[in-house]
Amino acid sequence: MENGEGSSSLSRRQLLGMIGATAGASAMYQAMSSLGFAAESPYQGPIDLQGAPRGASVVVLGAGMAGMTAAYELRNAGYKVQMLEYNARAGGRNWTLRGGDRYTELGGHTQQCEFDKDFYINPGPWRIPYHHHGMMHYTKLLGIPLEPFFQVNYNAYLHSSSAFGGKPQRFREVKADYQGHIAELLAKATQQNALDAKVTKEDREMLLESLRQWGALDSNYSYTASEASGDRRGYEKSPGGGLSGRPIPSKPIALHDILDSGLWSGVANGDTFDMQTALFQPAGGMGRIGEAFGRELGPLIRYNAKVTDIHQDDHGVTVSFTDSHSPGTPQSVRADWCLCTIPLPILAQISMNVGQSMASAISAVPYAAAVKAGLQFKRRFWEEDEKIFGGITYTDLPIMNIGYPNTGFQSGGKGVLLGAYIWGMRAMEFTAMTPPERVRKVVDYGSQIHPQYNKEFENGVAVAWHRAPFTMGCFGMWTSATRAKHYDNLCQIDGRIALAGEHASFLGGWQEGAVTSALDAIGRLHQRAVAQGEKA
Amino acid sequence: MIKPAPSPAPTPALPVALTIASLLFMFSAYADSPLFTSRATLGSLNGEQIYDHICQGCHMPGGQGAVGAGSYPKLAADKNFVSWRFVALTVLDGRNGMPPFGFPTGSRINSGPAHLSDAQIADVVNYVRGHFGNEYKAEVTAEQISSLPHPAAELIGPQ
Repeated sequence: MENGEGSSSLSRRQLLGMIGATAGASAMYQAMSSLGFAAESPYQGPIDLQGAPRGASVVVLGAGMAGMTAAYELRNAGYKVQMLEYNARAGGRNWTLRGGDRYTELGGHTQQCEFDKDFYINPGPWRIPYHHHGMMHYTKLLGIPLEPFFQVNYNAYLHSSSAFGGKPQRFREVKADYQGHIAELLAKATQQNALDAKVTKEDREMLLESLRQWGALDSNYSYTASEASGDRRGYEKSPGGGLSGRPIPSKPIALHDILDSGLWSGVANGDTFDMQTALFQPAGGMGRIGEAFGRELGPLIRYNAKVTDIHQDDHGVTVSFTDSHSPGTPQSVRADWCLCTIPLPILAQISMNVGQSMASAISAVPYAAAVKAGLQFKRRFWEEDEKIFGGITYTDLPIMNIGYPNTGFQSGGKGVLLGAYIWGMRAMEFTAMTPPERVRKVVDYGSQIHPQYNKEFENGVAVAWHRAPFTMGCFGMWTSATRAKHYDNLCQIDGRIALAGEHASFLGGWQEGAVTSALDAIGRLHQRAVAQGEKA
Repeated sequence: MIKPAPSPAPTPALPVALTIASLLFMFSAYADSPLFTSRATLGSLNGEQIYDHICQGCHMPGGQGAVGAGSYPKLAADKNFVSWRFVALTVLDGRNGMPPFGFPTGSRINSGPAHLSDAQIADVVNYVRGHFGNEYKAEVTAEQISSLPHPAAELIGPQ
């Protein structure tokens, strides 16, 4: 055929449109995947470690998600597994603080969590995207009930302390108005033929109609107070029944005010791959996973063990440690192989005879600062007064995020919310305060968004990750330069030692990074062990 | 000020994490507060203020350090402090999990750690070498700091 531009050659868009029309959305998604649009988690289902040499042993350092994933699979494959854990509990950063818990941070401040029964905060990870298949697998395996995690709540706030008189704006309104104004601008440009170079005549009408629908524009392609826009941003008076039910449309925020406020930067909060619906949280706190894993592994885990030295030789690995109950008495364990999940700021200080390339990598990854605070209030005013059920408010105040509980709706009585989730420079400054100062500042700032704080606040806890004795930071921060230079060296097995954890993944800070890095590492360790064969 | 920073914006993008996030999740600047610095006011902090706002989060008030599974070095009587270069390079590049503070102004770096100018790094180096029982008298200058290697600027990349 000569007319390649014509009937025989479909554009990618046309092709996708046809697939979508004829085969439904799942086929469309499959097609997009094969064309390279949509990425999937590397998790490939349960790992196969058949043929473990008889009597082969592994010492796993750290009972967080990476260590326990590895220990669980290695044990099931027939390896003799021992674990050393610094804390007196399993889970690592998979951790929930509940009423009655005590936590002592570096520097010596002890916080007593005074929440009522059943209330908690997750100082570390708090959500699991549906496509973190490894986490979903182990959560199911361990029988952990999941609840929905509302990443996006259209009725929560976007807040700028210097826009709209400091009054928080509903996400719904900012999103509808931003989208509506953009659609109107594009529609006008299209009508004025400004996009002719990019849009064919045939596409033009379809584009205009799509902008009208996408932006809730009126018949003149304008974004105005109308039933259409009200259906997105909400109404001045919402539709109801009977004589009193006639709706009154609401007035959109002007484009200039949206742009000037900076609030547009929060509109895409749920659009990134890791934040797309559905996300989940374990009922009762993220720590339920670590706790269940710990019970499953039982006596394999030795708690209160502080690793002081890791030494490999031709036949195995000896790990020296001290027990926090008898710190003066050095002890050791020995195994054929070692999987080490100790966070890098700590591992960098532990003597370990690996090659220079791995040693350099271990020292090359700074850890992010992060702070979270949980606040208990006398009543769930965010639900009762403001109709915010779960989800997140984003603010330019130093507290940065307010996370509302995604469970226990309308339960009456008290409630605990995440009063702050802070990173970057702000987190460093919060880290430098004492825990009571942090809580006080979180309440002060939060009251600018929810004035009810002042009357309803009861107690709170604040965790700064650089002061966590067991991690000394929140998660490893890679740059493209350090990745290029050190990442492979960090992940390569050095003799009989392999590293794992979120720091050894491209999913930094996510538990899925810990799980997939552990599976990747033990798969390679297993190959080595098999190649070496049974011990003489 | 909370207006979006002009491009190229020094927007922090913490990939993450535990929730965190991408560039999209954050506002481009943070509200001012007398207790908090901001990207705008960070540049006016002196050595002592930098220590109090940032360094003591790990090194603790009075430079006493801390011990857990690992340790934060006690800054008092640290023999390495005899070398101002050692201290300066540590602040510039980070060390063993400590974040770097010497990225060029306007760097787009994952998780947006604080950027300190050469003059500020000189000031905080002088502060820690002259406090907590340390008595190194020789003052380091911004020019000396600028002669040291700095970490390279980094564009936000996929994480």
